[in-house]
Order: sequence, then structure tokens, then C-alpha cells
Amino acid sequence: MADLITLTIDGRKLKVPAGTLVIEAAKQAGIEIPAFCYYEGFSLQAACRMCLVEVEKMPKLQPSCTLPAADGMVVHTESPKVADARKGMLEFLLTNHPLDCPVCDKGGECELQDMVFRYGAGESRFTEIKYHQDEKQWSPLVYYDPARCILCYRCVRVCDEGLGVGALGLTYRGVAAEITPSHGDHLECDECGWCIDVCPVGALTSGTYRYQSRPWEMNHTGTICTHCADGCKTTLSVRNGAIIRANNRDRSGYNGEFLCVKGRFGYDFVHSGERLQSPMIRKNGKLEPVSWSEALAAVATKFSEIKARGGKFGVIGSTRTTNEENYYLQKFARQGLGTASVDHHRTGDVPALIDALSGKTDALAAMADLYQAKAALVIGADLAQQHPLIAYQLRANYRHHKMAAYLVNPGASREEQYAKKSVHAPPGKEMEAVASLAGELKGHEDLVVIFGASLRGEGVRQLVSFGDTLGIPVKYVCLVDYSNSRGAMDMGLVPELLPGYRSVREAGMEPGLALDEMLAAKDLDALWAVGANPLESAELASSAAFVVVQDLFLTETARRAEVVLPAQSAYEKNGTVTSVTGEVQKLKAGAKVMGTKADLEIMGLIAKEMGLNLGIWSPDKVFEEIRRTVRGYNIPLPVVATGGAAQTTPVNGRVPAMPRPEHIRPSGDTLFTSGTLGRYSKRLSSVMEAPGELFKG
Amino acid sequence: MTFSPQLEAKFADLITHYPEGRQKGALIPMLLYAQDEVGAVTPEVIAEVASRLNVKPVEVEEVIGYYTMLWRHKRGKHHIQVCTNLSCMLAGGEELYAQVSKKLGIGHRETTPDGQFSLEETECLGACSWAPAVLVNYDFHMKMTPEKLDRLIESLGSKQ
Amino acid sequence: MPKIQEILSGAAAIAKGMGVTIKEMMNPVITDDYPDAPPKFQERYRGLHVLQRDEDGLEKCVACFLCSAACPAQCIYIEAADNTAQERISGGERYAKVYNIDYSRCIFCGYCVEACPTDAITHGHGFELASFNTSTLIYRKEKLLAPLAPGQTGKVKLDHPVMAETGH
Repeated sequence: MADLITLTIDGRKLKVPAGTLVIEAAKQAGIEIPAFCYYEGFSLQAACRMCLVEVEKMPKLQPSCTLPAADGMVVHTESPKVADARKGMLEFLLTNHPLDCPVCDKGGECELQDMVFRYGAGESRFTEIKYHQDEKQWSPLVYYDPARCILCYRCVRVCDEGLGVGALGLTYRGVAAEITPSHGDHLECDECGWCIDVCPVGALTSGTYRYQSRPWEMNHTGTICTHCADGCKTTLSVRNGAIIRANNRDRSGYNGEFLCVKGRFGYDFVHSGERLQSPMIRKNGKLEPVSWSEALAAVATKFSEIKARGGKFGVIGSTRTTNEENYYLQKFARQGLGTASVDHHRTGDVPALIDALSGKTDALAAMADLYQAKAALVIGADLAQQHPLIAYQLRANYRHHKMAAYLVNPGASREEQYAKKSVHAPPGKEMEAVASLAGELKGHEDLVVIFGASLRGEGVRQLVSFGDTLGIPVKYVCLVDYSNSRGAMDMGLVPELLPGYRSVREAGMEPGLALDEMLAAKDLDALWAVGANPLESAELASSAAFVVVQDLFLTETARRAEVVLPAQSAYEKNGTVTSVTGEVQKLKAGAKVMGTKADLEIMGLIAKEMGLNLGIWSPDKVFEEIRRTVRGYNIPLPVVATGGAAQTTPVNGRVPAMPRPEHIRPSGDTLFTSGTLGRYSKRLSSVMEAPGELFKG
Repeated sequence: MTFSPQLEAKFADLITHYPEGRQKGALIPMLLYAQDEVGAVTPEVIAEVASRLNVKPVEVEEVIGYYTMLWRHKRGKHHIQVCTNLSCMLAGGEELYAQVSKKLGIGHRETTPDGQFSLEETECLGACSWAPAVLVNYDFHMKMTPEKLDRLIESLGSKQ
Repeated sequence: MPKIQEILSGAAAIAKGMGVTIKEMMNPVITDDYPDAPPKFQERYRGLHVLQRDEDGLEKCVACFLCSAACPAQCIYIEAADNTAQERISGGERYAKVYNIDYSRCIFCGYCVEACPTDAITHGHGFELASFNTSTLIYRKEKLLAPLAPGQTGKVKLDHPVMAETGH
């Protein structure tokens, strides 16, 4: 703890660490000092002069955003002198800022509007004509209105410092000064849209939220992004059941305000015209819409019949459905259908890591650890493309704490901008490159190792034993690709393992077929795909198989199905998901799509129809069961219920049976693709950067 | 893109004038020299200079936007800058500017179609004692009169 | 005798009453002949809303949502959209693609009119809103818009000052 100093702000005595900025000290005491250019966590600008405060014994007003607190300092934040100065600043800002609040998207959540309302400078003494420039469209997602811009540089800084993209700059001078995108008239960047969110005025506006609504017209629901595995909290703004925008201005999740293009704009698949809204049954070779009761009855009858004659089931779970649904599905398969052939699209070897770490405590990194670690070793992952939040955390760590990053990748990645050392090694040769870094890694206080799917099975074990030789605390992250990939593994959606990494032999079963084997089995009687699209790149060998698909869209698998049941996306249902770092967070239903049901409800109804007793199928009840029975998931409920993230501690012992690593297929998704789901998001493919490439820097 | 050997040598020398890690400081002189050779700061020049100094292209754009002596479109072979700041204005600078503009048929920051001349109305050239002043490329022409200016433009035009 | 007194006082009362009647017959009529004749309104009567047009026939409403924010009965529903170069509907950058007022909830308080920054929404004098079906009480924009004045098209040519003018 740094030395504490005492200062007085507005008559309140505060103790803060030496070097704290006055604006931060005031914030800790609940005193708001308005500022446009100051943005927590980014470099200081002192350009807007809104945060001027009166400090006793200082002759002039001081900008509190660059003024370190000193012992005995006496600060007044709202004296008449300060209010007068702020009013003057606002009058200057309004010399060119148009008073077009009624047509401005920011109206109602505009910081300039709030300040003018508070300090009153609505009437200007300037008689000169306002300098005007037309609004520009930089990309399908970003619009810029130079006239409204107050040149606070927030967008420039988040883009450059936060993301390392640096797509924005400031050109021209004086009244003509304006923000310019990297390519003159258009943007080529990550399209994350963070610049839009941080803009204190309506200069940067979103192409998707454009004129859609007003902040007070919408309901805001904090839920977890359904695209990659990083588990960013995204707050959906919903009007009439439709998602209108997504952001995380309240910084509620562990991602703070950070979101990538998928989290901020990639929700449009929810209201895609291609969404299934009615169950369908194949009649005379064609899928025809039918009622829910007819479809459920058809599935139940057929399942019961196949089960009765001892037929061969294949059950494929999803990497995007909730933990509750995954748990219920494996329970349904193993107890209800009596099959051990349960699998999902695996994208990383988590069981190998958990097995290799047996006996160690505190060896799995949480998202917050990535920001605190002294050093990081990234193996086989283009983080900025595949795991934007992890990339952001590491970059922030470097920016604030000078964390040392080491990269072992097959090609260039954006982390090389600040990495201490980067080694290019083809897949399979990573461990040699890692070994060459041993000397440097030993010199750090602690280390977090982030590895992709190129390391699996024995490779993961080698990595962990390498970590043991360093003699410093090492934490690991095994990268997986989809929003609940980790949860699907934890919930036992693999042939070899029950929930909580227990062997299926404990349940008196032998491991069943893996995903590829189910598709290849010529005698498969039924294939049940819940939110999965295995036939995207493979053929189903068994032509007689009864295929049931629960999905959002008519995917390749759904087209082959006998019965298609329209499911809900993660944005429409409640439940929990587990992120890449093993942290459980809560999904909250935001949008509504007519005709769909949550996968859990669909499975529950099929079970009821079949006369099975698998327990109550409400998310809360199933989660209760998970907490009781799945090792590591006995997490504190209040943390999750209030929107926090609780890290699971899976097992601390050997994993009794290893799922075969040869069935791991990394998705290869970039920043602008997201598996089957991404294909139905028009916005992700509308930007010119899509689909992007991995390891191109 | 590559520049002429002379310019390449100049750049190589220029970079050594700045301390290690601060080579970014060479940005403005490099752009000016490149502009003299290429005639304008073209997108290729921006990309090249950015990569040589290891800065983002947008940082180069920022500099070009800020400084009026950096042009994105082609300058003429003879770049005529007429001062209309206070001393020159009092001594007839504005009339001189109007004269050139009329004679060449171009306005502020414009280039003749044949690429021979470009015109710019500038701020103080530091030659107030000899006002009005005109700058052609890097050459000063002081105590200008309309007749002298006419002759100057004609002699420049005949030089080709 | 009391009988005559009663008759006299009765006659006096009738005369007094008739006096009032005859006096009122001489005064101008203040009641309306509604529904046989159209009713007369005070200028500031708050009746059915009218969405006004500007002098070119463009809609004044720019879909700023302030009326719906001010509405205590939450009866105004708006969806906004972009004016394009090809199709210009309002004078501002945006216009109301959907503008519904639910008259089963409206309390005719006039807050929306007060809130409107472009004087687009006003109270007209329409009042015959009764219906047997509440669903017909949701009035759409088409029903609320002021009719085009003769010679107005509601469309603006591309060389029109509104289009050429870039200032706010």
C-alpha cells in the first residue's frame, strides 16, 4: 500500500494513496467532477477544462484530472468561481456544437447536454455562424458528425491504447479540427464500436442504433455475450421485445466497458428473418410447420420406440446453450435414453489441463488475473482475433503495469506491438520455442500461460511440467472457442465423463461414441442435435437415422432432420454459462421471439411426454442440482445472482478418464465470424474487414 | 515505394539526427522532402513514410492535416506563395495575389492544368522589411511590384 | 280571501319566470346546435392531435421522442427513420416512420404539445373519438397528419433550400 495522504474535498477529509488524481479521489468520496476528456484507465489529456477545481493557495483553477492529490490540499469542486469557469467552457464548446438535440441520437444520455443543463450556457453570446460540416459514414457501424465533436480525444485513446488498433486520429486545426479515420474516408479497424460508446456527445453514432429509439424508451438487460468464450457482459437495450443495441456502459461485468464487434453489434441474428418460429416435421420428404404438441409427441414416440428396442442414440449438445441445458441434456441422454454417446463440438483440451494440474491449488487463471499478472505467455492463439477480451486485459496490464508478454505463435499477431519477445513456431513445435524462453520467464514474479487448441493431451502435460520447473507461481488458461464451451465440458457432454469430470463408469456405463463416430456410425438410429450443427462439414452415414434438431435456424443439420424444434438464443433465456476462465455468469432474458422455446423447456417437455422423471426443468432448479452434484460448481449464489462472475474449481485430483484429444476441432473463428451463428448475423459480414484472418498481425 | 538515391541518402542521414526511439521526429522534414520530389503527399508517400518511421498512417494524416505546407494534391513546378499578412497587405500584397490569381486563372491552393504553377496565399514570410514578398518554391522575391511580378511569372513560364 | 292572494302570487311568479325567459329570448344564443350543426370551440381547446406540416408540406415531426417522454399516460409510440436524398419526409435528418397515439389512454393534457421542439404536434379540435372497439382508438400517423394544403406535394425537390442548406 502506498503512503496515504490526507486532503479535503468540499469539506470532506479523505485519505488516498499519494499520487492519486484529485478527480479520482473525489470520485471515491462520491463527489462527481464533470469531465469530457478524462477517461479512467487511459492517458491524460486535460483538453476539455471541465474538471477545473479551486484549490486553496493555488492562484488559478486547476484541472483535477491531471492534478495529483497532495497532503493538506483543500479542494472546492462546486464553488461559484468553478461553476462560472465551467459555464464559460460550455459556452465555448457550444460555439460550434449544434443545438440539434431533438434529432441527435445521444439526446438523453449526452454528457454535454447534462452539463449545459446543470451549469446553464444554453444561450450563447456568440453571433458568428456555426462552422458546419456534413455527417460522414465511416463504416456500416460508425457515423461521425464533425459539427457535434468536442475534440475530447476519448475515441482516439480507446482505439489506440485500449485496442492497439489506432484507427482514429485528429486532423486539421482550430475550428476545422476533426477526428479522421485511418483510411481517409472510411474505417478499417476492429469495428468494435467502443469509440461510439465513449463519445460524450453525439459526434460518433452507431449505424445500427441510429434513430431507433431513446435511452428512456428501452429496457436494459445485462446478460452474457453468446459469441466467443470470453464471457463479456453485454447490456441489451430492448424495445418491444427487440434488441436495439448492446453495450456495457455500466461496466457491470469483468470486461468493464470493453466489447468487441460481436458483443456490441452481433446480436442481430436474434431478429433475423431466417429464425425458426414453428416446430417442423418431415412429411412426404418436406419439412412442414406443425404445432408444438404434435412435434413433441412425435419426438417422444420415436425416442421411446428406439429406446425400447435398444437402438443406438447419438446426442450432440451445444457450446452455446446454458449449463443447465447441458446438464439436463446429458442427464436425459444417460438416464432417460440410456446412451453414453454424448458429445459436443470440442475446441480445447480442458480435461487434460485439469488432470495435469491435479494437486495444485489456485492454478487456473481468472479474467482478473490476466490484468494483474507480471508476465504472460501466449501459445498458439491470435488473441486480438480469437479472444478479444483476453487480448484487451493483457494490453491493459501492459499499459498500466508494464506486464511482460511472450508469444509463441505460428504467425504474426497484434500482441507483438508490445510483446517482450515473440517466437514464430509452427503447430507441433511450440514446446521447443517455449522451452527456449525458460530463462526469461524465470525472472518474473508470476506468470499466466494462455494456450490454444494446438496444445492438447500430452502437450498440455508437458506445458504444465515446464511451468513447474520455472519456480514461480504459474496460472493457466486453456482457450476454448464458444460462449459455453467450457460449461459443456464441465457438464459432461463428452462420452467419457460425467458432470464434474467423473468417469462414466461410476454410472455403470462404458464411454459411448464421440461426435465424429456418431456421424460415421452406419447403424445409428437417432441423432439428437441440441443447438449444434455437426453436418455443416460432415455427412451423416446412417441414412435411416431419426434426426431431431433444436436450433435457431434451418442449419445443414436441421435440413436433414425429421423434427426441427425452434429454440431460443442465449439472449432470450435465463441460465448460467461458464467462460473460458471457468467463471460462471448469469444469462438474463432480454429479447422475445414468438414461437420459440428455451432448449431446457423443450427437453423437459420431451421428457414429460416420454414419461421420464428427470426433475423440474426450470433453470433455477437445475442449477441448484448442478451446485449440489457437480464438483466445483458449488459457487456462492449471491455473486452470480447479482450479475457477478464466480470461478469454478473443477477438480483437484486426476481426471479418471480422458476424452480423446483427437476429437478437438478448433473453430478458427476470427473477430468477424462466429461459427454457424455468425453466418446469420448480417452485420458481422457487412463490415469490409470480414471475415478476417488469423495470425496476420 | 523508393525515392531517388539523393533523397534516400538524405533520409538515411536525417534519421540519425534523432535520438533512438524518437525517430518519429523526422516525420515533418521527411514529408517535406518527399513532397518536393513527388510533388504531393500521396497515399503511397504516407504509407512509405509511416512504415519507415514505424508510426501509424493515421499519425501521418494528422500531421498533414495540421500543416498547410503539406499538400495532398500535386503542386505546380513553380509554387508561388504570396504573402498577404499585415506588412505585405499594406504594401499591396492582396493586389499582387489577385493579379497572380487572375493571370494564372487559379485560386488559393490550386494548380494550373499544365502543372506549371500553383498558388497559395500565405501568412508572414518574415520579410516584412522588404514587403510585399513573394516566395517561389524556396526563392524569395522581395519589394514586389505588379510589373516585376508579371516579368517573374513570364520568366518562370519560359523556363519550363 | 286567501284564495285570491294565492292566485295573485302565482301569477306574479309566472310573470317573473316568463320575464326571465323573455329577457333571455332577446340575448344571443350561446348553446350549440350539435350534432345538427358543427360545434364551436375555444381557440385553445385540446382535442384530437394534429401533426403539422411546414410551408413546403414536409412533416414537422423529427421523431425526437420528447412528446412520448413527456406523456404522463404513455400513449405515444414512435419509430424513427432516416430521411434519404431520394425521399425526404421531414425537414430534419429523421422523421417518424411510425407515430401512434393511443386515444384510449390519452388524457388530453397537452404536455406533448408543450414538449415538442418543432411545434409539430398540436391539439386540433376533433373530439368525436367514441368507438365500440378500443383497438380502433390507436390512431396512426396517417390519421393524425394535417392534410396537404393546395399546391403542396409533401415532397421536396433536390435543389430545394432545405436540401441545399447544410446548417442546423
